[in-house]
Amino acid sequence: MAPVAPKSGDAIFASVDRVNAELFTLTYGAIVRQLLTDLEEVDEVNKQLDQMGYNIGVRLVDEFLAKSNVNRCVDFRETAEVIAKVGFKMFLGVTASVTNWDAEGTTCSIILEDNPLVDFVELPDTCQGLYYCNILSGVIRGALEMFLFPSPSGVNENRSHVAA
Amino acid sequence: MIVCLAVVGHQNNPLYIQSFTEADDALKLHHMVHCSVDVIDERVDNPKKSGPTINETFLGLLCPTENYKVYGYLTNTKVKFILVTTDLDVRDADMRTFFRRFHAAYVDAVSNPFHVPGKKITSKTFAERVATIVKSFGLTTTG
Repeated sequence: MAPVAPKSGDAIFASVDRVNAELFTLTYGAIVRQLLTDLEEVDEVNKQLDQMGYNIGVRLVDEFLAKSNVNRCVDFRETAEVIAKVGFKMFLGVTASVTNWDAEGTTCSIILEDNPLVDFVELPDTCQGLYYCNILSGVIRGALEMFLFPSPSGVNENRSHVAA
Repeated sequence: MIVCLAVVGHQNNPLYIQSFTEADDALKLHHMVHCSVDVIDERVDNPKKSGPTINETFLGLLCPTENYKVYGYLTNTKVKFILVTTDLDVRDADMRTFFRRFHAAYVDAVSNPFHVPGKKITSKTFAERVATIVKSFGLTTTG
């Protein structure tokens, strides 16, 4: 059987089941609100979101590999590009861009221009240190760790950055 | 010229009041808004027997007082939008468009997970959007 060619993010996004964007946004908002009520500390909430993302990431990576058929990435740059272009497109429907590479090529920033998680959201003054999208950096961390790629990632002023 | 805008919750609690004049008669405007809430309640409780009971969101001119006109808009969740204007002739269609855009801005503000329903709307984005809508309304009617 001939090897299947890797599909582009758009093609996969068109073929998977989709959910209403507002439902998704409001559900995520409710989760964050509930965490804030339960844990009260902004740092604790950030940690919890990261942990939740990690748990999602370790499971999500198998589905990603099965649906997208990407080839083995040669280096970290390619990995970051694949995450940004194929991964985010497939699961969130938005394309991210990769910038801010450091000298050794081990750290980069993935920028999401319009993030469906943060529609309608305005952080109040009491939660200024909250990394609202920390779940995304947890997902990336979890996914990369499945490749035995320990990578601390975090949100940097509403931008997610990944270090390998 | 739109002088004052107010959003009143379903328990008649004020959620947002903004006046757009430099004059220091904010109290008088608030009082007028308060009275119009009563007029709305009256209209809602005693629907006109002539027509069928339609779900009309735009209530129209509530009560013309001195040199002001007060318009009302009722959403399905019993949230009331009240507008006080000094314009003498305002087209019905313009009013409806204005309220529709205001309603859209309100819905976006309320969808913020950090907004507590029943509390005042503190979103700065909402205030900016409302200011833009008011400004563009002023331009279309005077132009």
